[in-house]
Amino acid sequence: MSSSLRNISAIAGKELRSFYSSPIAWVMLGLFAAIFGWFFSSALAYFASAAMRSQFGGGPQRMNVNLEMIRPLFSNTTVLILFLLPMVTMRTYSEEKRSGTIELLLTSPLKDIEIILGKYLGAMGMYLGMLGVTAAYLSVLFLAGNPAVKPILSGYLGLLLFGGGFIAMGLFISSLTSNQMVAGAASFVVFLLLWVVSWLGESMGPTMSSILSYLSITEHFDDFGKGIIDTKHIVFYLSFIVFGLFLATKSVDSDRWRG
Amino acid sequence: MIEVQHLTKRYGRFTAVDDVSFKVEKGEILGFLGPNGAGKTSTMRVITGYMPPSEGKAVVAGFDVFTHPIEAKRRTGYLPETPPLYPDMTVREYLTFAARIKAGELSTNDRKTRVEEVMKKTHVDDMANRQCGKLSKGYRQRVGLAQALIHDPEVLVLDEPTAGLDPKQITETRDLIRNLAGNHTIVLSTHILPEVAQTCRKVVIINKGKVVAIDTPENLTHELKGASALYVQVGSTQDATSMLSEIAGVRAVTIADRHDEFTGYEIESEPNRDIRQDVARTVVNGGLGLLELRPMRMSLEEIFLQLTTEDQPAAPAKEAANVQ
Repeated sequence: MSSSLRNISAIAGKELRSFYSSPIAWVMLGLFAAIFGWFFSSALAYFASAAMRSQFGGGPQRMNVNLEMIRPLFSNTTVLILFLLPMVTMRTYSEEKRSGTIELLLTSPLKDIEIILGKYLGAMGMYLGMLGVTAAYLSVLFLAGNPAVKPILSGYLGLLLFGGGFIAMGLFISSLTSNQMVAGAASFVVFLLLWVVSWLGESMGPTMSSILSYLSITEHFDDFGKGIIDTKHIVFYLSFIVFGLFLATKSVDSDRWRG
Repeated sequence: MIEVQHLTKRYGRFTAVDDVSFKVEKGEILGFLGPNGAGKTSTMRVITGYMPPSEGKAVVAGFDVFTHPIEAKRRTGYLPETPPLYPDMTVREYLTFAARIKAGELSTNDRKTRVEEVMKKTHVDDMANRQCGKLSKGYRQRVGLAQALIHDPEVLVLDEPTAGLDPKQITETRDLIRNLAGNHTIVLSTHILPEVAQTCRKVVIINKGKVVAIDTPENLTHELKGASALYVQVGSTQDATSMLSEIAGVRAVTIADRHDEFTGYEIESEPNRDIRQDVARTVVNGGLGLLELRPMRMSLEEIFLQLTTEDQPAAPAKEAANVQ
């Protein structure tokens, strides 16, 4: 077991190092910071003016920074992730296939699952960097007001699981091709489909509708934003992650057979 | 140390390796020779556990590569055709990573020492802090070799280790490989023939996925199809064909070249019979003036061409080989 952990951490460390030493990482983090900053500023401006109105215009209820600002901000973040995570996952495996370095990994005394888990954790590390950027923005709110901490933490747990599911699926897609661009585009399309899968549900009858909305990766996110941690959502995301990693491991194995 | 039994590898309907069997003893260097696309790389990829065989098996250091991949891989170092380098890592970082995944049991200090040792051994220590992507072809190849050696494996599998190197680097790499034999059992593939003659004790010639010959380079060059031949040059222009034909054991005599001052003959003898002394005596006693007498061997190139080209009758070479 300890040798497995050693192998996984060696791969994850390599992934992180090569990611953070590449310009792509910093361009992406920069873009992410800029767009998230835009969302943040506009949400803040909207919230400030709404709060002002409710205070002076005698609005029906007190404004809540968690509900009115942070929750929609988390939802916006999931949209950003949809666009940016394919850029993180597309190279994870494809690049190794293209450059032939996969021969090093596959002829080293490593199990397929160790390679995949190492790569997964490495990509999660990059994703954590992106979430770190959002945390820096949100900390500003603590300087100016006192938002509730628990819904923020549950929101981050949700983002972690949501992104974790995407990364697992993106890693699988990346393992199918040696072309980064194909991996990136396919991941984006698959992510988008998982996103909108519930939209058709309404017109397909109640059974289909509930199935599709269960499959929708966004439906499960809402509660986290509200500060509710429901095991059924956690189970959904975890099984999504496990399924993605399982497919990725099988894909590595089937690649061996095909040569 | 390495045992390949009835190995077959198919890609879809295409059979890349067809029922290949051979054995490499401990400390031996085996040369794997064949034209491009003969199935060398596929065979090596099965031995190193990169992919499973369609049929048959490969056993490395007592472990079946398919059923005990981790144990087998721990004892195998592999240099693929393209060295598997990460372009953004420095040589030292790269080898440290390779040591981590291949020899995880080493402590941090031991790993550092090992990396430095291997860099010295393969003469890449002067580039330790250079990014792999910025290395010259020769250095890449040697860093690839360093990577294969990093966990001090019993078995080394090298796919065209000297491809793309300049002559000086080729000599250095060959010396390095020769020095590694003994401690390591080595399989190397190449399509450069002198390389095999210079480095290997045993040669497997493979063509279209099938083994066409397994032998030592000497035996292969010496008497491939039984008949051996001598080249004799005498300082006389008179026809000595009949005189030479009378020597016991001679099968055929032909005039190879005729000049103003001397004549050259090709003498084909019965297999496994040394007639050099008799020929020398006959020529000298006959007063022809012996200028030159040497065995005519087929060069590895000719053997190779003969074995890999179908339906070619075995004929001794026109030119004597200089196999070093």
